[in-house]
Amino acid sequence: MGRIVEWLDARFPLTAFLKHELSEYPTPRNLSYWWNFGSLAGLVLVIQILSGIFLAMHYKADSTLAFDSIEHIMRDVNYGWLIRYIHSTGASAFFAVIFIHMARTLYYGSYRAPRELMWWTGQVLLLMLMATAFMGYLLPWGQMSYWGAQVITNLFRATPFIGDQVVIWLRGDFAVGDATLTRFFALHYLFPFLITGMVMVHLVALHMVKSSNPSGIDLAAKNNIPFHPYFTVKDLFGVGVFLLIFCAFVFYSPNTFIEAENNLPADPMKTPAHIVPEWYFLPFYAILRAVPDLLGGVVAMAMSVMIFAAMPYLDRSKIPGGARHRPFFRVLFYVFAIDVLVLTYVGMKPPEGVLIPVGQVATFIYFGLFVLLPFISKKEEQWLRARGLPPELQALVASEEAQRALKKKGAL
Amino acid sequence: MADQHEQDPKDPTRRDFLNTVTGVVAGAGVVAAAWPFVQSMNPSSDVLSKSTAEVDLRGIKVGESKTVAWQGKPVFVMRRSDAQIEAMRKSPGGKDPEPDDKRVIEPQWLVVVGLCTHLGCVPSRKDEGWFCPCHGSAYDNSGRILHGPAPRNLEKPPYQFVSAEKIVIGKA
Amino acid sequence: MTKLRIRWATILLSAMLSGGVYASSEAALPDVKIDTSSAHLKNGAVAILNVCTLCHSVKYVKYRSLLEIGFSTAEVDTLRGEKPLDEPFLAKLQPESARKVFGMVPPDLSDAAKTRKNGAAYVYALLTSYHEDAQEHVDNKLFPGIKMPDPLGLSVELDPARKVKLDQRAKDIAAFLQWSADPRAAERESLGVWVLGYLAVLTFLLWLVKRRVWQRLKAEGVG
Repeated sequence: MGRIVEWLDARFPLTAFLKHELSEYPTPRNLSYWWNFGSLAGLVLVIQILSGIFLAMHYKADSTLAFDSIEHIMRDVNYGWLIRYIHSTGASAFFAVIFIHMARTLYYGSYRAPRELMWWTGQVLLLMLMATAFMGYLLPWGQMSYWGAQVITNLFRATPFIGDQVVIWLRGDFAVGDATLTRFFALHYLFPFLITGMVMVHLVALHMVKSSNPSGIDLAAKNNIPFHPYFTVKDLFGVGVFLLIFCAFVFYSPNTFIEAENNLPADPMKTPAHIVPEWYFLPFYAILRAVPDLLGGVVAMAMSVMIFAAMPYLDRSKIPGGARHRPFFRVLFYVFAIDVLVLTYVGMKPPEGVLIPVGQVATFIYFGLFVLLPFISKKEEQWLRARGLPPELQALVASEEAQRALKKKGAL
Repeated sequence: MADQHEQDPKDPTRRDFLNTVTGVVAGAGVVAAAWPFVQSMNPSSDVLSKSTAEVDLRGIKVGESKTVAWQGKPVFVMRRSDAQIEAMRKSPGGKDPEPDDKRVIEPQWLVVVGLCTHLGCVPSRKDEGWFCPCHGSAYDNSGRILHGPAPRNLEKPPYQFVSAEKIVIGKA
Repeated sequence: MTKLRIRWATILLSAMLSGGVYASSEAALPDVKIDTSSAHLKNGAVAILNVCTLCHSVKYVKYRSLLEIGFSTAEVDTLRGEKPLDEPFLAKLQPESARKVFGMVPPDLSDAAKTRKNGAAYVYALLTSYHEDAQEHVDNKLFPGIKMPDPLGLSVELDPARKVKLDQRAKDIAAFLQWSADPRAAERESLGVWVLGYLAVLTFLLWLVKRRVWQRLKAEGVG
């Protein structure tokens, strides 16, 4: 065995790579379990790709055959029902893990310098995941699949001047149809591999700037511990807990994430009473509906996802880290979290009665929080300095200011 | 798992034991998890149901051969006349001698797989037998190879009579 | 601190989800337990074949599937007659005639129990909600104006013993349709016991390993 490894080492940096990037990779010793969600996201990606490929061995991407092929998978294919439920539950699991991963990053300020690129590659990954999920949802060719795709592709009508042509080009037809289904299948199969590539970029960036930690302050080297065995075993334990919850859904509540209406085959002549996207799109759907104008609603919805990218610049405090040492920021975070839950609720209900103004207020608050952040973060910094910073922050803030002064001198 | 940090003087054997047990349990789980995926590639229940084919013998005229599908292959079901049965009884066959009565259950009915034993083409009905257009193999009314490149007689599938007028191919 | 946050998040989330992701318009479904044991599935299958398939197809269920719910090969042969084992349950009423009589083709029933929340209970309720109104027209309390005529005759049945029998038949039909919508439910739930049991053991072992590795940190501090 050792000889084989030697032979390989002379030709390929495998052991050196694993040693440097996995075993010895320095990680802050104070990471909490909120830091498990990155590796969990990687796990769910693998689960989705595996279950997806095996489903693709039986699925037929043709509008006259798709619904029947899903029935075939559920009834005839050996363990087809299991692979299908893994894939449908996995989609929801992916978004749950990613949202918690994002929440961790926002709360602890892990998007701040020098980790902006990690945040932006993460942003791109989120967009790619949303596109993948949207296209995947059309594939069963149920009522909700069809009409969800019809409504969302219609949004591109808002594109100035060429809106109608764009919609037809996207669909390959005047309405969602067989052409749409075939291309969505091709792209749904492709995107996860693009996502995998982007994950590698995300990890390369991580390995340069290293993990942030709950204190928000980059710790001295003496406070780092090797990734293996400490975080390999912690991540594996996290995987165990995740799989317990995941399998509880797969085996005992698999239809929770399959909208009942989607068990009806698509009928282009009949729209369902309530068109509801999957839960992970609900807050954005609520924002879309909150703006009465088509273009305005589309822009608002797009901005609600894209605005996260601005976080490193909206947050203007010179106090490092996230909510732990910053009480105003913490309040903003919790208000944002509750607001997203409100928007989720509004998104799942039909847009009538009191829910309309509630949705609009919640949308206003959503964007308002981002707009307020530059001012509040500055005010908070002044307030904290006036009260006196805790010692570990004092030293760090002082050294950062000294560095900035040096840079200014050098630039002149 | 790497052994670099095994400096712990506390209880190396207990540590190794826990690691080993966990590794074995995890490994068993990975194998067990792979099993449904592997199984999903095996024929599904609707494909397996086609492993047998029912054939209604009514409607096949004397001297006529009907071709039915079984497991994706053609099967010749022929109703032989008394004269044809007599001729086949008298003849030992050709390159691959075999008595006719060993090739049938009821002498009136011949059931053979319609794929030439040379390279798998489907022979056509010709004169008193079948002729393969690909390389010229000729078979008699018992499905036996007379001359040509094919080495063996037409294959006999497992089948049984469920009534005088119905056979099931695929079940002996 | 973190535990408190998790608890609040869970409370909020479950309050939201229970609010009804699938908001059902009928709040009046009876609280009925549909028994899906083999005997009821078999009775339901026979009722479906004798009554429902006159107009409805159950096209994703084949005669062969009847072997899975407890019928013997001989019983299945009797039920299918001349039809091959692989034949699905098709409607005797042809689509063109259906459109002439009802204005629409009666929907396929294979997934009827999962196209709405509490689908099996809905089927039972629908079958037993037929009544004669003041003008002696037969209508359905759950679905007024329904085009389907009373299939079990409960609206005009007077004999109480017979009524009980028909009520049970309605439950059996609902049971069969519940099975038809999710034929692998029993296997899934029993496999789930093994999977979750195994994962509990594995996660416990992983926790022990994690704890032991991290105790080293407290013990000596790592260079």
